[in-house]
Amino acid sequence: MSTIRARSAAAYWLALPAALWMLAAVVVPVGMIVWVSFWGGRAFSPASPLTFDNYTRFFANTIYLNLVVETLRHTLLLMAVCGVLGYCIAYFLVMKVRSPGWRTALFLAFVIPFWTSALIRAIAWVPFLGVNGVINQALLALGIADRPVELFLYSRTGITMAQISLYTLMASGPVVYMLAQIPPELREAAMTLKAPPTVVFWRIILPLTLPGVVIGQVLVFLNVMADFATVQTIGGNKLALLPNLVINFYEGAQIRAAAVVAVLLMLCMLAGVAAALRVVDVRRLGAT
Amino acid sequence: MDGSAATLPVRAEARRRRFDHHARSRLMAWVLGTLTVAFLLYQWLPILTLSLLSFSGPTGGTTFPMNGVSLHWYRELWDASIMNDFKPPLARSFLLGLACAAVTCVLAVASAQAMRGGFRGHNLFFYLILLGIMAPGLLVGFGFALLCRLLGVETAWNTTAFLVHVSWTLPFGFLTMLAIFNRFDPKLEEAALTLGATRWTAFRRITLPIVMPGVIGSLLFGFSLSYDEFARSMFTTGADITLPLAVMAQLDRQLTPELYAIGAATTLTSLLVILGCTIALWLWRRAQRGPNR
Repeated sequence: MSTIRARSAAAYWLALPAALWMLAAVVVPVGMIVWVSFWGGRAFSPASPLTFDNYTRFFANTIYLNLVVETLRHTLLLMAVCGVLGYCIAYFLVMKVRSPGWRTALFLAFVIPFWTSALIRAIAWVPFLGVNGVINQALLALGIADRPVELFLYSRTGITMAQISLYTLMASGPVVYMLAQIPPELREAAMTLKAPPTVVFWRIILPLTLPGVVIGQVLVFLNVMADFATVQTIGGNKLALLPNLVINFYEGAQIRAAAVVAVLLMLCMLAGVAAALRVVDVRRLGAT
Repeated sequence: MDGSAATLPVRAEARRRRFDHHARSRLMAWVLGTLTVAFLLYQWLPILTLSLLSFSGPTGGTTFPMNGVSLHWYRELWDASIMNDFKPPLARSFLLGLACAAVTCVLAVASAQAMRGGFRGHNLFFYLILLGIMAPGLLVGFGFALLCRLLGVETAWNTTAFLVHVSWTLPFGFLTMLAIFNRFDPKLEEAALTLGATRWTAFRRITLPIVMPGVIGSLLFGFSLSYDEFARSMFTTGADITLPLAVMAQLDRQLTPELYAIGAATTLTSLLVILGCTIALWLWRRAQRGPNR
């Protein structure tokens, strides 16, 4: 017995508003993109004939194809860096910090920036990266470089640096959650049975935290794939990845081309999520 | 006799190995600790620098030297011209955030409660809500803009942008409530129902107070995620823009310390909101505990 009867009509009524809201604001719009990407003709009208022309035009252009590859490479790089960094930090916070006070303090220092605007955090990197930026000033002052390095602002390096600071928490958070769930007795049992620490890690800790790693990787993957704002802020107008192409086409009133790029982006993401779901069952995470 | 002579080296070996493991574990802690602290610095330094530079003198540029310390750029922000006046966008973002917080909280509690009812298709429902987190703002915003154009709906911050923002904030509130309900002990409700409380009374008087941390959590998610949202707003806001859009527009025109001032101010606002919610939760818990003692 509980405040909600199992399989009652009340459950349906409670779920209905949220379901309708998500359908109207997420599912229908995404379907709309797919539909528009097949529109032929020039007018914005639902009566447009359906064709594959928009796709053939896109795939005929090698610059765009290279951009797809570039975007995937950039995303994989970030997944690797954020994944390793995030795992190390999560492991340190949960397993190595003994005092609860310190753990809370470090954890808060790690999490709080996530609650502030990602846009502002991306902008905060600009004074760091410029030719006269903080990094260059430091390099010059320390005598490491004898003239400003023009590597950072308006470059892929700068974008990567900023995105690492933005997305490491996403890779780390699920791992923290999974690590905290591991009962200490498991480790102790393994230690009692004389397993060396490396074996304990590879055979016990890592497999148990694998769902967290995968979820974290999915979050980084999805966010970096779609992050046009950081690229725009730090890359200026000189650099573009796939998501920026959507914006460029949209602002250039090329709705169909924008829709095609958006659909490709969506397909990449679906493939990524499907691959991840083969490894872990998201639904079971909350129940453990 | 014979046996102890044989075990002695083994024991010494075991002791040596344990010591080895201990030293290695400490070394590991140091390496990981250094890495963590380095990352925290890496994460915080830009925000702190931005805040520091926002206090630079009137002739200060967008990087060091600051050319004096002043509130010049904050004053500029305050008496801004119509072109770069951040006050109306700020007010809009704030109101939008509040509205999203309220709706997110109500819908999250309702849908998490519905999930407990285990209705047919609740798995599908779970994935439908989760889609709001998975689908990136770029796609949702772009798709919604297309939909509005098809239906001939004018986009505005308090109608279309609101609708889309909630689809982003709701899943976070929903997951928070699910996590809280997972740890909830249904026996408490059973006791209330057995004692003759109606379902609604039991929910209001027993369930809701226990899951209150989740409710406050989803309020917080609702406000802060909407307040900072850029991608979704970009496509669905129309002429009267919200704060992140105003910031981006200013960045496109020119980067000035004024932008740092707005950055520092909004970051501080976000932190104060979190602090406020934490204190509220703490006070509320204390008040709950009070009468029992």
